[in-house]
Amino acid sequence: MKDALRIGAGSGFWGDALDPAEELLKGGELDYMSMDYLAELTMALLQRQKLKNPEAGYIPDIVPHLRTLMPLAREHGTRLICNGGGVNPRAGARRVAETAAEQGLKGTRVALVEGDDVLHRLDELLASGETLANMETGDEDFAAIRDRVVAANVYTDASGIAGALAEEADVVIAGRVSDNALYVGPIMHELGWRYDAAHADRVGAAITIGHVMECAAACTGGMSSRFAEMPRMGEVGFPIAEVAADGSAVISKLPGTGGRVDAHTIKEHLVYEIADPGNYIMPDGIADFTTLRLTDLGDDRVRMDNMTGKGQPDRLKLIVGYQDGWIGEGLLFFPWPYALERAHKARETLGERFRRLGLQAEQIHFDLVGINALHGPSAPIPEHDDLNEVGLRVAVRTRTREEAEKVRRACSQLWIMGPGGTSFGTPMKPRPVVSVWPTLIPRAAVSQSVDILEA
Amino acid sequence: MTALLRDIAYVRSGDKGNTLTIGVIAREPEHYATVLRTVTPDRVKALFGDWVHGPVHVYPMDNIEAVVVYMENALGGGATSTLRLDQTGKSIGNAILRLRLPGDV
Repeated sequence: MKDALRIGAGSGFWGDALDPAEELLKGGELDYMSMDYLAELTMALLQRQKLKNPEAGYIPDIVPHLRTLMPLAREHGTRLICNGGGVNPRAGARRVAETAAEQGLKGTRVALVEGDDVLHRLDELLASGETLANMETGDEDFAAIRDRVVAANVYTDASGIAGALAEEADVVIAGRVSDNALYVGPIMHELGWRYDAAHADRVGAAITIGHVMECAAACTGGMSSRFAEMPRMGEVGFPIAEVAADGSAVISKLPGTGGRVDAHTIKEHLVYEIADPGNYIMPDGIADFTTLRLTDLGDDRVRMDNMTGKGQPDRLKLIVGYQDGWIGEGLLFFPWPYALERAHKARETLGERFRRLGLQAEQIHFDLVGINALHGPSAPIPEHDDLNEVGLRVAVRTRTREEAEKVRRACSQLWIMGPGGTSFGTPMKPRPVVSVWPTLIPRAAVSQSVDILEA
Repeated sequence: MTALLRDIAYVRSGDKGNTLTIGVIAREPEHYATVLRTVTPDRVKALFGDWVHGPVHVYPMDNIEAVVVYMENALGGGATSTLRLDQTGKSIGNAILRLRLPGDV
């Protein structure tokens, strides 16, 4: 049992840069590197890929990423943990083990953590008396979407990851574990913490640390309100957490890297995408962010201590993804003079075209790009029409692809029907919608398993 | 110049399903009391108009001089199905900085 460990963040989302992870592995003296690739939106995208190809459905980037990172990790004694298995962790782990073998990394132990995917158990859950009511809307009519379900993944806890580490995994490939389980797992494993009342505050601390770390550069100057004063963000350093056995941690980054770690960069991420900060409910436990104390140590180091927690919740969040029609979208741009007047006229003309084409829309949404596309009703419309340029964006929900195609067609028809001076971007293809239905199921209904694949 | 929340606070926002979350952080500890008086559920709801259909909750975090604003049914259906350009609520959070500080109402 160690009395401290060092964990680095290697990815904050699918699409994140690889070079900061490489730098961190080389210079961070890390025990672990954790990589988050998933979001609610991501699971839906991956499910769509798996529908086309049963061997797909993991994050394709994990193969090139781990090809680069595995040799470095072996050299520096760092173990790698990711949720890049997406909706097909088995295929992902197999591919990663093959990659390690191709690289001559003999004996690399790739652990596959499964158990989050309950797509084939939904009827069993319903039969056992679960209503699977939508926890956001209260809607209990799950039957209305049952035929259109394409994904069902439970936000699972860190027990699978901790189990894989106990089996001496070098690389862990999980699916929809909670983002911060990627950090809670190695912390609990190394420091010998358990899911019991005696460790409730410790687990709360691990969740809080995981929350700060899970979006990588988001706590080292990325996404910052103080963007203008953040140095060399294109060379930003990913964060390191040094976690001590007493449940405190220091967040830092490598010297010489871009970005910054100070009390504000940590605060900015503590408040990100949470509900009641006194009860941050994760599968590993309920963390209380309101007891935490932050101390800015200077030199890009911030200490976090006095973190607390309240034990594990009885129910886990299940996200069901289901096919839910299509979106058709178009963009048109108008120049000075009278840019706004041109946009209003184009909107009227589009409405006429939609009627002529018999568009069956469930919802039609217009934005004035440059005025209110981002802030909606809270943004004032300029009183004087003297803008250099303005855009008109239209987005339409339809049941079928054919209807969504009409949006693209109508926008194209404004090439000549539209106001003089109109510019068009590349026409956008209709996209299918996978909506999410969040619900809660009993913890006891979910169990995780670990398989080791050896290169 | 009218004093706005923009002048005393930082912001970071995001989504949870169809819920918009906005963290508002006092720039300096002495600004925190004004942040608390400025960011109230009623004022937030009025500012965002018909883009927010559900209740608005405001949770104080005295320990870091910040508040978390949690706005239900506020993202036009959520990231995968919304018709808005800002699918995950990253941009709209900054709109809260338009709130006038109480002394200027």
